[in-house]
Amino acid sequence: MLFTSFSIYAQDEITPERQQGHTNQNKFKQLYDEFATPNMFRTGSGAPGPAYYQQQADYKMDIEIDDVNAKLYGNETITYTNNSPDELKYLWVQLDQNMRSRDSKTPLISSSGIAPANSSAGAVKSYLKEAFDGGFNIEHVKDANGKDLPHTINRTMMRVELPKSMKTGDKFSFQIKWWYQINNHQVDRGRSGYEYFEENDNRIYVIAQFYPRMAVYNDVEGWQNSQFWGRDEFALPFGDFDVNITVPADHILDGTGYLVNREEVFTKDMMKRFNEAKKAYDEPVMIVTQTEAEKTEKTKSKTKRTWKLSAQMVRDFGFATSRKFLWDMMAVKVGDKDVMAVSMYSKEGNPLWEQWSTKAVASTLRSYSRLTFDYPYHKAISVHAPMGMEYPMICYNFGRPDKEGNYSDRTKYGMISVIIHEVGHNFFPMIINSDERQWTWMDEGLNTFSQYVAEQDFGEWYPKALSPNDKAYPSRRGPAKKIVRYMGGNQDYIAPIMTKGLNTYQFGNNAYGKPATALNILRETIMGRELFDYSFREYAQRWMFKHPTPEDFFRTMEDASAVDLDWFWRGWFYTTDYTDIGIKEVKKFAVTGKPNDNGKKLAEQYNRDPNSLVYFIEEGAEGYDDAMKTSIAIDNLPTVKEYIMDNFTPEEQKALKKTPKYFYQVTFDKPGGLVMPIIVEYTYADGTKNRETYPAQVWRLNDKEVSKAIASEKEIVSITLDPDLETADVDITNNSWPKEVKDSDFTKFKNKVKD
Amino acid sequence: MKSLYILIAFLFLPILTSNNKNHEYFVSVTKVEYSKETQSLQIISQIFIDDFETVLRKRYDEKIILDIENESESVETYMKRYLTDKLKINVNGSAVNFKFIGKEYKDDITYCYLEIENVSDIKSIAVTNQLLFDAFSDQQNILRLKLLDKNKSFLLVPENDSCVLNFD
Repeated sequence: MLFTSFSIYAQDEITPERQQGHTNQNKFKQLYDEFATPNMFRTGSGAPGPAYYQQQADYKMDIEIDDVNAKLYGNETITYTNNSPDELKYLWVQLDQNMRSRDSKTPLISSSGIAPANSSAGAVKSYLKEAFDGGFNIEHVKDANGKDLPHTINRTMMRVELPKSMKTGDKFSFQIKWWYQINNHQVDRGRSGYEYFEENDNRIYVIAQFYPRMAVYNDVEGWQNSQFWGRDEFALPFGDFDVNITVPADHILDGTGYLVNREEVFTKDMMKRFNEAKKAYDEPVMIVTQTEAEKTEKTKSKTKRTWKLSAQMVRDFGFATSRKFLWDMMAVKVGDKDVMAVSMYSKEGNPLWEQWSTKAVASTLRSYSRLTFDYPYHKAISVHAPMGMEYPMICYNFGRPDKEGNYSDRTKYGMISVIIHEVGHNFFPMIINSDERQWTWMDEGLNTFSQYVAEQDFGEWYPKALSPNDKAYPSRRGPAKKIVRYMGGNQDYIAPIMTKGLNTYQFGNNAYGKPATALNILRETIMGRELFDYSFREYAQRWMFKHPTPEDFFRTMEDASAVDLDWFWRGWFYTTDYTDIGIKEVKKFAVTGKPNDNGKKLAEQYNRDPNSLVYFIEEGAEGYDDAMKTSIAIDNLPTVKEYIMDNFTPEEQKALKKTPKYFYQVTFDKPGGLVMPIIVEYTYADGTKNRETYPAQVWRLNDKEVSKAIASEKEIVSITLDPDLETADVDITNNSWPKEVKDSDFTKFKNKVKD
Repeated sequence: MKSLYILIAFLFLPILTSNNKNHEYFVSVTKVEYSKETQSLQIISQIFIDDFETVLRKRYDEKIILDIENESESVETYMKRYLTDKLKINVNGSAVNFKFIGKEYKDDITYCYLEIENVSDIKSIAVTNQLLFDAFSDQQNILRLKLLDKNKSFLLVPENDSCVLNFD
């Protein structure tokens, strides 16, 4: 600094009323109160601790689908391994289909009312039709010797009593036999079920949550004890699966795991095409063509065929089967190994599906592998079913042209996006196995963020998939400005991200959009890509094939980057605060050696020679003269010259900053609760611009407003905050100086239409 | 009790959603603002494109597709017809008609611009909003009124589809 300055705040003459004390409300306070205490299972660094453990559940299953009656029959042996240090008296098994049973409590927690006018179909459905009964019918639960095991069903969970407590390292095998009625997911919704096609009386089955599945037991929850109400998804331990699935002989089937008996179920032609597909890196190879599928769907086989699948280290199992399926595959290099990208769809999905599904799968595996770790499974399948739902190695995706094969951009991009999203779920939560029942955002948020990166890659790698007007892939979520509508909305219908999904108002924005945007802002604006990507990858690798909690993510991101983000997690994840930063005022000053009255008073007050000081006089104030702005340079004032000569060597004097001529005090205020960096663009009289970013910590001592003194060689003619809209500022009418008066959206549109 | 009831409805209705629908629940937003300058009520209705497409297809024409190049001209005719049918506005006790200024698509939302002209004085306004109730049983419509220094939001559902605001 070239000159000394005094604080000019006058002493308060009146004795203030004594204020009450307060706790630490600072927005930069560390999250010790919110975070779980680190321990031997989970460390303060966010990594698994030395005592980290996880349970294992292995399954052997025989499944049969009765296509005439749409029923599924199953028989399974679960082998459970207790790796915990705890002794277990009982096991909990999840019966998710019971959410669809006739005595399900899910409809009971939904509010309902009487509409004054109803369609007759609606009235029949609401008041006359018996609800669909899609719950599990458990025929028996037996131990390995065939002896019945006592068990208690509490809605979507079943407690099985162990004959003898399981100690650390113990294994226990037991069998369950069951059946259930498969739901029509077009009518009764759901993440699995069948779609019915009147033409040729056919079904496409996309099957999941079809077997009694082990609940998670871990160090943070004990037994997972939150029921399945229909929204919050699943918490599942890893294990190995051997599954034999019997379906009509003319069905095409694929699912989680290696197809063990390919020679038995493939024709010679299919085998030949499959071997071609293993070497096709650019275009998928049809294993079952449309002509073949159209022929098959016209008849029905009376015989059965069994498909055998075997999967290792997966947390769940899903499969799809139908005689309507076309099937294509191609290979994609991930690291040094080949993975198969696979699509199954009916003719209704074309011409869209044959063009983009398998390429979207391949592209996603490449993008996500770069962001996290090399995709460890051998294949990823995208199945055409009007929903969006994910399982290990297989997912079900929407996107259907109309009957003539026409589709809008929305349908095309919707389909590519949902495929990228659901294939991406292989990473979050299938491999980085977070607890979806508690924390929807941990898989949906991280996945939607990664989806955004992968969509941008896809647009770059497959420019032909873009419509002529799009230069880049038009992602729906990720960019900061897209979350403004939600975050600036009615606070009554917004919940913090750290809320269980069931209790949020706007599920999509809450668990998908906002966390994805938060991570994108961290990457692009707060941390920078290098630090973010390293830390995100570190999190993925630390928790690959393990069960992370929110703190493990938050801590790892800081631990690997040396960026203290507690303020960011606090604001974005634990509150519903939004960003709104504005320019409150801009004062212009001229510099002079000649004090005005106020200057004289100050010099006297501090007992200094008035001629030894440098004065800044605000434009328009007493003693201000327009000529000051141009005639006086700060380093021409005698007092400054003296100071420079006395304190700097001639070399140092040469290195001094260029002489500033214009002095401003800019005050930023913050109507929004979030602390965020202030990104400012200064525009000068000569048309040039300069950007300055004041880190979020600028708010640490005053959460309402902060001022910056700007000394500039050139005159500043305008100031813009957040010029690239990267902070999700919900109100940008206060982002510019001089204030721009903008037309309302309505007037803007009306003028546009007029032209 | 009514407001509590509505809040609960908002909480729990869309419970059976699948994982990654285009948007996870059915809701539209309609903003009504008074402009002194033009002496008119300016209305912007925001409706998800796919929901709007669904209802227009069901009611009028299976073949229409929204938001494509060379969109059929009948789309705006149907939109106008539908909005006139389902959005009723009363000012000072008498029904008023709006002019359909036009529509635009942004992201996955249709923005419909409607205007009621020659409104010099507002003592009361009543709005009935039944948009999409005929297509989705769990549809909810948010209505934001910004008139003469009053700023009020309503959540309208099939069993409670109207609201009134008085200025005295």
